[in-house]
Amino acid sequence: MSMFSAFDVTASGLTAQRLRMDVISENVANANTTRTEDGTPYRRKIVTFQQKNPQQTFSQVLHNVSSSYSGSGVKVSQIFEDTTTEMNMVYDPSHPDADENGYVTYPNVNIVQEMTDLIDASRSYEANSTAFGASKSMALKGLEIGQ
Amino acid sequence: MIQTNAFDYINVLDRAADAAWQRNEAISNNIANVDTPGYKRQDVAFESVLQQALGNNRYESMDDKVANVNLGRLRGRAYVDYANYSYRLDGNNVDIENENVMLAENQLKYQGLISSINQEFTNLQTVMK
Repeated sequence: MSMFSAFDVTASGLTAQRLRMDVISENVANANTTRTEDGTPYRRKIVTFQQKNPQQTFSQVLHNVSSSYSGSGVKVSQIFEDTTTEMNMVYDPSHPDADENGYVTYPNVNIVQEMTDLIDASRSYEANSTAFGASKSMALKGLEIGQ
Repeated sequence: MIQTNAFDYINVLDRAADAAWQRNEAISNNIANVDTPGYKRQDVAFESVLQQALGNNRYESMDDKVANVNLGRLRGRAYVDYANYSYRLDGNNVDIENENVMLAENQLKYQGLISSINQEFTNLQTVMK
């Protein structure tokens, strides 16, 4: 256990939540984008989190039972496109991206859902920031020993 | 270490502070993983270890108990908390409010322990003057 690993753990949480906020912002910004680089409409992007270095093998688990605590935070495992949610079809024959039936395919971004996710990410970011402050004040208090 | 009983309490307080630091790390990790699907919260237990170490002791007074406690075994025990298994749909059982409360509680505890260690040193210094 290194002295500053508590800081690294909270920093990983801050980075992950910041990236999630970035991706949500991208979704909101592209809520009406009907044409991306490859010509298709924009698809909503989702961030998935994964525990960093989870205990995998039996010997690792056994070792961790007898030894001290070992957790190293969170990481973003992937950013994938939401292909499950239906795209929004809007009838607008005058639109340049309308298909032969006059329908325009708008992205499957639901603004309300994105905003709630954004608040969620922002609150988690704050929680990590609080944890960082707590670790820091503890470390500073530890330096007072013997003074 | 010099053959003396002067540091007995400091040694135990030191172990307790170590465990509190470890617990801070565990709680930080829980907060970082608040949105990780399937994550189960982890914690560090020290009070039960200390209670057991002092309880299994054959000595009567607290001074003797503390003097003869096995310091090598006096360490925080990390464990995975499977309580509230179905708290959330994604299989994660981290309750962010709870974690924040425990974080603050643990922080105060650590500060109290450090103050106690300092007080022990101040006592020794007073005697030496």
